[in-house]
Amino acid sequence: MKLALFGVGNAGTRLLDQLIHAEDETGRNFTDGHVLAFNTAPAAFEAATAIPDDRQVLIGDTHPEVSHELVSFDPDGDDTTVDPETPTDADSAGVDGDPNLGATVASDELPEIRRSLDLVDDTEVDAAVVIAGLGGGTGAGVSSVLLEELGSIYEIPIYVLGVLPAASESDRRALTAARAVRTLVPLADAVLPVDNEAWRRNADPLEEQYETINETIATRFVSLFAAGEADPTSVSEMRIDPADVRRTFGVGGLASIGYATVELDTEDRGFLYRLKRLLGLVDEEPSGPTDAATVKQLVGRALGSKLTLPCAVTSADRVLLILSGPPSAISRKGFETGRYLLEDETGTVEILAGDEPLPRADTITATVLLSNVTDVPRLSTIQERAVDALSTFDDESPATGSTDKTGFEFRTDSDDSTDTADSNAAVDDDTTGDNPSDGETMSTDPTATETRESETTETTTSETTETTANETTETTGAVDVYGAATGDTGTNEDSTDAATDEDGTDTAANEDSTNAAANGETDVDDATDTDEPATTEPETADTGDAADADDEQLIPDAETTDS
Amino acid sequence: MKLATIGVGNAGSKIIDRMIEFEQSTGRDLCRHALVINTARTDLAKPQHVPENRRVLIGETHKKAKGHGVGGDAAVGAEVAKTDIDEIRRIFDDVEIHEVDAILVAAGLGGGTGSGAAPVVIEELQKMYDEPVYGLGMLPGKYEGGRPALNAARSLQSFVNKVDNFIAFDNDAWRSRGQTIEEGYDEMNKELATRIVTLLAAGEVDESEVGENAMDSSDIMRTLDVGGVSSIGYASTGVDTPDDGLLSRLNDSEQAELESADAAKIKGLVRRAVNSRLTIPCDVSSADRALIVFAGPPSSISRKGVESAREWLESEADTVDVLAGDDPRSNSETLAAAVLLTNVTETPRIDEIQDQAVDAQDTIQQQDAVREEEIESLITDDNNDLDPIV
Repeated sequence: MKLALFGVGNAGTRLLDQLIHAEDETGRNFTDGHVLAFNTAPAAFEAATAIPDDRQVLIGDTHPEVSHELVSFDPDGDDTTVDPETPTDADSAGVDGDPNLGATVASDELPEIRRSLDLVDDTEVDAAVVIAGLGGGTGAGVSSVLLEELGSIYEIPIYVLGVLPAASESDRRALTAARAVRTLVPLADAVLPVDNEAWRRNADPLEEQYETINETIATRFVSLFAAGEADPTSVSEMRIDPADVRRTFGVGGLASIGYATVELDTEDRGFLYRLKRLLGLVDEEPSGPTDAATVKQLVGRALGSKLTLPCAVTSADRVLLILSGPPSAISRKGFETGRYLLEDETGTVEILAGDEPLPRADTITATVLLSNVTDVPRLSTIQERAVDALSTFDDESPATGSTDKTGFEFRTDSDDSTDTADSNAAVDDDTTGDNPSDGETMSTDPTATETRESETTETTTSETTETTANETTETTGAVDVYGAATGDTGTNEDSTDAATDEDGTDTAANEDSTNAAANGETDVDDATDTDEPATTEPETADTGDAADADDEQLIPDAETTDS
Repeated sequence: MKLATIGVGNAGSKIIDRMIEFEQSTGRDLCRHALVINTARTDLAKPQHVPENRRVLIGETHKKAKGHGVGGDAAVGAEVAKTDIDEIRRIFDDVEIHEVDAILVAAGLGGGTGSGAAPVVIEELQKMYDEPVYGLGMLPGKYEGGRPALNAARSLQSFVNKVDNFIAFDNDAWRSRGQTIEEGYDEMNKELATRIVTLLAAGEVDESEVGENAMDSSDIMRTLDVGGVSSIGYASTGVDTPDDGLLSRLNDSEQAELESADAAKIKGLVRRAVNSRLTIPCDVSSADRALIVFAGPPSSISRKGVESAREWLESEADTVDVLAGDDPRSNSETLAAAVLLTNVTETPRIDEIQDQAVDAQDTIQQQDAVREEEIESLITDDNNDLDPIV
């Protein structure tokens, strides 16, 4: 299928560059030059060799808050430093890693963005893909605005290829990425996250591995989207049409790609195959490359391979399989049993499968797309880090807008209160957390704890917010706030510590609560979820609602498709 | 019989293409008109025996299809066919309908285009013409999975309700090991084309050479009249022909045997046709009517054999409605028996597909029910502390 590609930010630009290279190398012409790169700092463009100059769009260079310091180009990964404010942070040029600033800049420069979008003819492509590092200020901020814009002008589906920060990257990038996922998923038709943590090979600095990671990602991306583009006239038995890809992505959410290749022993095969043909044994002979078991295994390997976004394959909603290779080598039975294996392993019946005939290839490749995967531990980890980071940045980060600052505090408070409202469950679950200092050693535990809590808190939160908010406030909510402020209540410390276990301190947690108290919201602590959007954060509330509306729209669409 | 044929979707188009190829190579003249309809432009390029101007792309303007297929979605397939029905009707204007006895619509029932668009096309044809409309449907194999089974189970209902008869082909019965994707489907299509054309082309050869017991189109149509689902059995054997030289002489003992195509041989051929792979496996005794076509050199068809074969099938199928007739092919090197069993009601594969479809539908409904919620909970942190950027 034909794609329009939009690289945003440093990581997005690099990955776009890599994809254009992959297009050249594989002869699968899938962009036809419909590419654009957006950035707030010119540095990343210098490294791009395949993106034409007129497709490099620099925005925000006149914005007062955009940094013009000439910082040597530092690929936005090496911010292992915990302090997000150090000037060596990845996006120190441009929007300084601030997604809010990125979004503001993009909104201000919409006319410029629209002008550049005129260079891309959306009627000639089957889908648009926005490519961005989700941890970067430009990647997350500008692509959010770009996605809104594309959504309003394009009829074609819009996908996101988004890079998630590795564990070694800063908390701030984790926070940005978590918020980006929250923002982009409702806006995009589907999001394909790439987990840097899963793909880094060793402990070497991440930026040294970008090239290999990007190559790997590009290979998968091209195998999926550009299947059949090497020779569009080739006759495929079960061709994968753009409609198949589209339908698979049609459920929205997050998607992941698996990939595996098997070498064909071409010489051997040629001889044996001819011999068997002569002897009329072709049908009976179960060994050899056309062997069904080989193809089935290959499909199984692709499913079990390292996915672009590691996830539980059983949580996939729809699946697409593409077998690329010489038509003479792809066993039909293998193709069918491979497809059935996918149904078996993923538990979904929505499986589309096709082949891409590559007569001269000496490998068979299986590419598996898992759409709307919902069991993604890595995302939960990033979200937890992000929540922890919230409290840290509230007071320190000048980059975070003041509205957002209060917003974060209130939300953090509501977090505390729901924990307390649900204190019995929390305490029961988290037996080791009674001692505040234990919170520090629990760095891996919160995943489990939070997840377990979420089962109860999800319902509690909504109930609390909508109906029993006031009651709860009068009972547990009040206690909670005092507890948080004084640090006296064991349960409460537990929850705040857990929330800041990685780099937050008790002080930070307390400050956080103190701030909330200072803001005069203490007495309606539990009701913050309902109060906050209406009073202090109308903007966020509005967009939040809009995002929900989008979400709702997307799903009925998918349902119509199903009926 | 003279047919106007329409292939819908990838599988439907390919089988029509193969039917034309087979009839041309055997000097038959069954498909007077051929038309293929598809939602994917690339697939329309595949048929080699259907002229360019008889290939119709539908759904080019549909926002979900755009000439790139319907992604296995039968609902979209039906939708685009409805939208573009005028286009389909217009191209059918060229068809001299009085020249044909019936219309045959072929489609794969597992995909989106065939299962969705074909019933819409059939409905339209039934409105436009008095001639019977027959369906030829390829049922997906078990390993094609739940979604194709669901498409097929649903489409089968539309097909059987709308057509005058539905000839079913079960992919599973025809799978074999060791084939590549290319070969696999191609071989199946050839087998099916052979059966369909041998059966339906009876009587359409050289008008001068009418056999003493020749099969007539009206006989076939009478047998198909009962509606429901039909299955075709087929068997062939080599025969010696006067012009046949070298090849048959190589094999003297066999030749001698073939020369005496006696009653037992004919009966054996029919038994083989019924007991070998039927296009859809079924309980023969559940058939409503049956018909046997013997296609081959007239000299090789023993009258006595035809009669005893007919009687045998009568008792097997447990029906008195069994017709048998010749399709004389003087130049043919084979004698073939094609057996049509109409309105067979005991078809285990259809039951299996329906079971698989029900399970698939449950799974799909469960997924639909929680989808929105799951995405929402995935992208938000546990306590919804993180706010979106825009």
